[in-house]
Amino acid sequence: MDLSTMIPELFSALPLTLVITFTAMSVGFCLALIATTLRVRRVPVISQFVDLYVSYARSVPVVLQLFVAFYGLPLLVILFGFQDFITATMAAMVGLSLYHGGYLSEVMRPAYLAVERGQHDAADSLGYSFRQKMFRIVGPQAIHIGLPGYGNSIIYLIHNVALVMYIGAADVMATAHLIMERDYNQFQFETYLVLAVIYSLMCLIAWLIIRFFELRFAVHLSKEATSIPLKTAAFASV
Amino acid sequence: MFETDVLLQDLREILGAVPVTLAMALAIFVFSTIIGSLFAFIEYRRVPVLRELVIAYKVAFKGVPMVIVIFLAYFGLPPALQFLLSLVGIDFNAHLTPNWVILVIAITGCIAAFQSEIIKGALNSFDTGQADAAHSLGYTSSQLFRRVMFPQVVVAAIPDLTTSMMVIMKALSLGFAIEVVEIFAQSQLTAALNFYYLEAFVIAVVIYMVIAYIVTQIADRTERALRIRS
Repeated sequence: MDLSTMIPELFSALPLTLVITFTAMSVGFCLALIATTLRVRRVPVISQFVDLYVSYARSVPVVLQLFVAFYGLPLLVILFGFQDFITATMAAMVGLSLYHGGYLSEVMRPAYLAVERGQHDAADSLGYSFRQKMFRIVGPQAIHIGLPGYGNSIIYLIHNVALVMYIGAADVMATAHLIMERDYNQFQFETYLVLAVIYSLMCLIAWLIIRFFELRFAVHLSKEATSIPLKTAAFASV
Repeated sequence: MFETDVLLQDLREILGAVPVTLAMALAIFVFSTIIGSLFAFIEYRRVPVLRELVIAYKVAFKGVPMVIVIFLAYFGLPPALQFLLSLVGIDFNAHLTPNWVILVIAITGCIAAFQSEIIKGALNSFDTGQADAAHSLGYTSSQLFRRVMFPQVVVAAIPDLTTSMMVIMKALSLGFAIEVVEIFAQSQLTAALNFYYLEAFVIAVVIYMVIAYIVTQIADRTERALRIRS
């Protein structure tokens, strides 16, 4: 095994992994915002559907979600009368976005609900509109409460991107498998160790970024607001 | 297109894998809770060197995706086991270790890191004033733990332990990578036989969601029952 050739080869697949991660991150964030709004406001029928979606995203393994996206999307596309243009990478993006959106909505909703009721009342009595209330009063506090949970969800998203290999996207894991097979499967343990280091570094960077924002947002808060006991969800998510 | 005729047959075949999955999940749950409690106890009591080791363990197992841990265990455990046994003088071919044992060990290792966090949180939620009161009444440490601390800590940990049970169920789905047949692997096998992939996976999704619903219901009921008593 030659580390000096293996690592550049692994890094050559990193852009795809990162693209999938960032797509899932941004689309998932939007999905989570929509889902949280609908769940908090309790719109009759739609809320039940959103609840079902969130429990799908949370109680079904990510591998299975990826496979459902991979086999289900082409069906959906054909149903709407298009040619089947879904590639493995696109299916991976859609599957992971759906997963991340559902997971994140369970981070956002408790964060929103943890903001004191009195803050809403105060904003309402001062004549703030819903949008103003969200952006100026409730939002910043909810962000502070939710940031640790958000950091966890990003780390698990990075972990789960390692699974897209199974539906045929050529990410870092898939490249590692190619390298291993080229070496006649002699150095499997060592290659996985290198992968473990790469993923740990990615998670470390993500964690540092979130940590930076956590410290920055803490500045805007009053002493009482920071004393709210917050329970961060530290669960693995597979 | 979506074929509804195969759904019943698929359901029957995939349901066959549910008992095995649940048994493995329960085993992992018990082992990881024991190890996690040990870790949490070390951190709670601030045992000097062990505490740093536990923190290092947690950082390592949280940063690495579970698939990679499973593969590392798959390729690393048998040689390591054989080497250790040969040191003691036992001649045993560790490469014959069944894959499900390796899967159980790997997932236990991962989940233990999270269990310890949950139990530590529950321990921290314990009101220390009660410990002082118990001490002033002449309780010994073991009595304090058994009669005052344990009942409250368990109730406080139930919701989180339920979530970790679900996480274990989901983590087992990665067993297909090392040829352990549980719900997800069984759905793949079923699909590979009749070529109706989406149908089999939809059935698996339904099974997972139903199991999640049942587990949550059971946990809610137990929590409510225990809370009334305490």
